[in-house]
Amino acid sequence: MIIVTGASRGLGKAITERLVDRGEEVIGLARSVDTLDIKGIKCDVSDYSSVKNAAREIKRMKRPVKAFINAAGIASMNLAVTTDESTVQRVIQTNLIGTIYCCQLFAPIMLRQKQGSFINFSTIAVALALKGESVYAASKAGVEAFSRTFAREVADFNVRVNCIAPGPIRTDLLRGVTDSQIERIISQQVIPRQFQKSDICNLVELLIDDKASSLSGQVLNVGGV
Amino acid sequence: MNNEQAKVAVITVITDVLEGKVEVFEDMQLIGGESLLDSLKLVEVCLALEDLADEYEFEFDWTSEAAMSKSRSMFRSVAALSEEFYNQSRI
Repeated sequence: MIIVTGASRGLGKAITERLVDRGEEVIGLARSVDTLDIKGIKCDVSDYSSVKNAAREIKRMKRPVKAFINAAGIASMNLAVTTDESTVQRVIQTNLIGTIYCCQLFAPIMLRQKQGSFINFSTIAVALALKGESVYAASKAGVEAFSRTFAREVADFNVRVNCIAPGPIRTDLLRGVTDSQIERIISQQVIPRQFQKSDICNLVELLIDDKASSLSGQVLNVGGV
Repeated sequence: MNNEQAKVAVITVITDVLEGKVEVFEDMQLIGGESLLDSLKLVEVCLALEDLADEYEFEFDWTSEAAMSKSRSMFRSVAALSEEFYNQSRI
């Protein structure tokens, strides 16, 4: 089975749909599971106990976990000086600490199998140091550092960890970002066009495939930097 | 499972992971400078204890505060790990 966090919306939802379409058994972790079309487990990734309970539930199923996709995340498109304290806390807690909780608590399942793939999500804003995304980029830079290091820690167990760093993809996270801002970001990419959710789903399919068995500890910047 | 059984079980698991190359005593350190196990082996011990706990119908949680705390870590010695394994069997 494949586990996807943030499966009820945005990229997480798109990835879930893609994986279900290709016949994978997907379990969605989300704060609200009522709207999921697949089996879901209620889970707030920013809450250690909640993630631990979800991991325990999955473990009790005693079925192989092929991949864990950390797609849950929140954005803050703002200057650091105009970002309030609670937003800073929430962004770091969900994006960075939530990813760490999920990796550390679900890893034992994959370590036991001696197989599996974690896919975490960063943003191209890290590599491009995009103005107005400092807190968000900081949280994702942490995800990149964690992923690269965690990849080494689990490599001996044949578990791979990689990051996808999308540019401006049309999701709720981009609310409030103007077309001209998007154009400015895209113009800094190696391939200067706006990629779609489907492009991210393609990368997810690649990373969970055995064909990507040589890839771990990598950050794939969508569009290139 | 009683205290003594837990001790024997933990020593057996560690000995197996170390492929019988080292005699394992209760006061041996599991992490830190004088550690018996590298991080890879430590994870293998934990996974084996999880399996064993399954047989005794309890869950062995090695990601708990007790496991992670530096000063009170259950990995500070074979005896501490045995004690924690026994305590968790009683929950």
